[in-house]
Amino acid sequence: MVAPSDNPAIVVDEDGMSLKERLRNAERTDRIKTFGLVIPLLAFILVTFVFPILLMTYRSIDNPIAVRAIPKTLQTLEDWTSASLPGEETYRILGEELLASRESGDLGKLATRLNYDVPGSRSAITRVARAMRSGPSEGESYSDLFLEVDKRWGKPEIWAGLKSLDSPLTKSYYLASLDLTTDLDGDIVFKPDEERIYVALLYKTLWVSLLVTVFCILLAYPIAYQMATLPSGKANLLLILVLLPFWTSLLVRTTSWIVLLQSNGVLNDILVAFGIFDDDGRVQMIYNMTGTIVAMTHILLPFMVLPLYSVMKTIPGNYLRAAISMGAAPSRAWIDVYFPLTVPGVGAGSVLVFILCIGYYITPALVGGRSGQLISSSIAYHMQTSLNWGLAAALGTILLVCVLALYWIYNRFAGIDNLKMG
Amino acid sequence: MTPLEVSVRFEHVQKSYDGEVLVVKDLNLQIAKGEFLTMLGPSGSGKTTCLMMLAGFETATHGEIYIGDRSINRVPPHRRNIGMVFQNYALFPHMTVAENLAYPLKVKKMNKSDIETKVNQALDMVQLQPFKSRRPGMLSGGQQQRVAVARALVFDPDIVLMDEPLGALDKQLREQMQFEIKHIHENLGVTVIYVTHDQSEALTMSNRIAVFNEGVIQQLSPPADLYEKPDNAFVAQFIGENNKLHGLVQSVSNDTCQVRLDDGSVVNAARINVTQTGEKSTLSLRPERVEVNPTDNQYPNIFEGRVQELIYLGDHIRTRVSLCGHDDFVVKFPNSARHASLQTGDKARFGWSAEDCRALDG
Amino acid sequence: MFKLPPYATPGDRIWDIVYKLICASVYLFLIAPILVIIPLSFNSQPYFTFTPEMLMLNPEAFSFRWYIDLFENEQWARAIRNSFVIGIFSTLLATTLGTIAALGLSKSNMPGRTAVMLVLLSPMIVPVIITAAGMYFFFTSIGLGQTFLGLILAHTVLGTPFVVITVTATLSGFDRSLMRASANMGASPTGTFFNVVVPLIAPGVISGALFAFITSFDEVVVVLFLSGASQRTVPRQMWAGIREQISPTILAVATLLILVSVLLLIVLELIRRRNERMRGIRS
Repeated sequence: MVAPSDNPAIVVDEDGMSLKERLRNAERTDRIKTFGLVIPLLAFILVTFVFPILLMTYRSIDNPIAVRAIPKTLQTLEDWTSASLPGEETYRILGEELLASRESGDLGKLATRLNYDVPGSRSAITRVARAMRSGPSEGESYSDLFLEVDKRWGKPEIWAGLKSLDSPLTKSYYLASLDLTTDLDGDIVFKPDEERIYVALLYKTLWVSLLVTVFCILLAYPIAYQMATLPSGKANLLLILVLLPFWTSLLVRTTSWIVLLQSNGVLNDILVAFGIFDDDGRVQMIYNMTGTIVAMTHILLPFMVLPLYSVMKTIPGNYLRAAISMGAAPSRAWIDVYFPLTVPGVGAGSVLVFILCIGYYITPALVGGRSGQLISSSIAYHMQTSLNWGLAAALGTILLVCVLALYWIYNRFAGIDNLKMG
Repeated sequence: MTPLEVSVRFEHVQKSYDGEVLVVKDLNLQIAKGEFLTMLGPSGSGKTTCLMMLAGFETATHGEIYIGDRSINRVPPHRRNIGMVFQNYALFPHMTVAENLAYPLKVKKMNKSDIETKVNQALDMVQLQPFKSRRPGMLSGGQQQRVAVARALVFDPDIVLMDEPLGALDKQLREQMQFEIKHIHENLGVTVIYVTHDQSEALTMSNRIAVFNEGVIQQLSPPADLYEKPDNAFVAQFIGENNKLHGLVQSVSNDTCQVRLDDGSVVNAARINVTQTGEKSTLSLRPERVEVNPTDNQYPNIFEGRVQELIYLGDHIRTRVSLCGHDDFVVKFPNSARHASLQTGDKARFGWSAEDCRALDG
Repeated sequence: MFKLPPYATPGDRIWDIVYKLICASVYLFLIAPILVIIPLSFNSQPYFTFTPEMLMLNPEAFSFRWYIDLFENEQWARAIRNSFVIGIFSTLLATTLGTIAALGLSKSNMPGRTAVMLVLLSPMIVPVIITAAGMYFFFTSIGLGQTFLGLILAHTVLGTPFVVITVTATLSGFDRSLMRASANMGASPTGTFFNVVVPLIAPGVISGALFAFITSFDEVVVVLFLSGASQRTVPRQMWAGIREQISPTILAVATLLILVSVLLLIVLELIRRRNERMRGIRS
């Protein structure tokens, strides 16, 4: 039944809903149902992947310990400047707070945290806390006790270090990741040359990734083109030569490169056997940058070949024929017509290879030796060995931002839907 | 037809892709300068292969191809000066329409102002001036087709090859483009070799048609002859609608013969390529050459048949009749008052002349 | 383009040969590391290179000793068991979640499709070292550090993008009218799903599952961070083996893993062919 309505064009039924509204409702219900299918995985990824990573990122700025352990000291240090040492009162408050945190179990964390910013300060903290159990002896001031336990308490650096921990959020891990630090006045300055590591490492990571990407393009282009122009039977056979390494365990391939390239490995043996080198002139091709680049190029090559091949397969042979029929020599036709059409494939493959390369850990760690380590190795080192998780998190976040930016570019370039494996 | 000046000549050309099957068998063909020649045939009949061999993208396994007096077997394709329109146009997607048209001129190192003049002329010819700075992807199918034609002509080639150029267009546009291409051909006088599997396209546009089947030219004639006087059963079947009656040759005279059909009836037919009595023959008869209820003795062939089906097609009526032992004998007659009375299930007499009924190979 | 046309110039011919040589060396680069390792795993000496006896094909230079070593070693046996347990469970989980999500993603009315896709595929893009670091903090804090469950969940995360990709790819070539046809013939939605949808997407699901399994089976970074001594997997054991490089047992393991990848490749190829055939009939 159709109820009368002011506007005869709008059909209204008994519920007073127009046809349009009902359609909209129906569509919304459908959309919610569709979205429901995605929810389990989306929730799973958000909880077990996105959230942990956000948590890690938070760790790169999280700085709770001093605010919790020595709040009063931080308060008295508020007006302090590095021109002089703090007064006796400050020594007393810090001494008492350190003693208290020794009981609550925060002392070790505080000492470790301060040690990141002021190297060697760990023992200065723990020793004071130990000495505070008995307190200063007769006639001895708190500052005397501090200085007796550790000379450093007579210098402003350690106090400046403590003062800089006065906020629950810190930028010091990021400063450290960029080889920066704060001076006594809280200004951001470069670390001394011999302590600068990470910027150079980041540059090296980007440079190696770029090199590997370029090598991948150079090696992938000819074979992708060959496969795209051969009849499909033969092309499939050649494709196996690309897919077999692609499917073979990463560790197997890394092992192979060690076996091939080490100084008494297969390649050196061959070169010696052919008299190209002396037996004592063997070349070190692994456990250094060369090893990293060779193995990475090998491992990432399929990621370049496959997108290139799929782009080239869609370019009709008639384009080249058309250009040739119009009088272009085959090489000219190829450069004018074929190559420009493969550029999107090169772009997509390059971004993919670059993204994968920049964050690679396993291969550089195993074959990189000392010189072939990338930023990922530093993250692993601070996660597992130095246990400076804040710095690991800051380095990780920087890496993550680089990768996500590239991921975004890739999405614009190739469309994330076109990401295909094999 | 004796061509005044030969443009293209195929001499004993053979082509095999796998070394076993010949896709083109001993092709001999002369194409006159300025001619519009169509290679017509089903897919796989070898017509596109011939075109590709002429363009230089396939190599003949045997034989020679000449342009003018010069054998081009050893001339690389980019020196053959042959324009080509490809099946899906092969317009370069990363260049604008104008850049596409300028490309052949640019590779010939023509100077800039000449290129511009030529490109503008070409754009005017196909009425695409407003679209010159668009990419091919932004054009409709018909517009792309025009660009492809213009691009094949812009560098003044001696010969233009067209490989099913209208296959991707809808029917109406296809018919319009047929006329446009035909007019361009007439205006420019260039030699056109056109490949298609669409017989009406071939009949509309060509000076001559070469019907291909299984790598062999079955017949090479002007369109009207092809329809009226097919040389063999394949051509008769391929061009237009056609009734096939199978039988054995009973007697042969100069121009006519008599064929006894499988059901015993005897038909008088024009003798085309039967030689002696006793051999198998297929009779070819166009549906519109059959008259319903003729007067006695009007035709040497008059048989009774039963109307199985009537299809109303506006200007004419199509009838399926059982006749002479065939259930699918088709008769077309104009929609005039005289025939309107025919009903399904009616018995009627059907007659045709001996000249319209061609006795072909079995 | 096997044979050059008769008009090819000498330059064309030389370039043709050079080009083929370039391609051949790239293929060699791709495949040589894999081919070299196989014969070396049969070395009877504890070296990582060919002995002169091996090159002379002296039968005594070859032996199965590293394979025997592998199967007698309790650590390796446990690593293999762990790898399969973690691999199978994470594959099951990843395949289930991924397939359901792909069914949603391939519908035209999916809201925010690109954004959701970006999130779902991100585990493939984010460097594993970051994933591992993040999971280390999170899983340890909720008591999943050094547990099988933790590793299974972590590997599920890494495997789902492959399932999503392969299944959506299968569904994108999927004729929706088949579902309507089935409904039209009176099938219930569940009936349609199991009789029409499942057989058609099965190849995508299976290859996605294989990808997920191999991802887990080959994964070492997360394992390095999250596993304790009792959760060591094959790659983790190899990692240790490569670092110490004492025994060629890892070459034997490597050879067996190559065998696994060959088998995988064959299975994938069979699926692809079956899929093509099925689609061939449809079109």
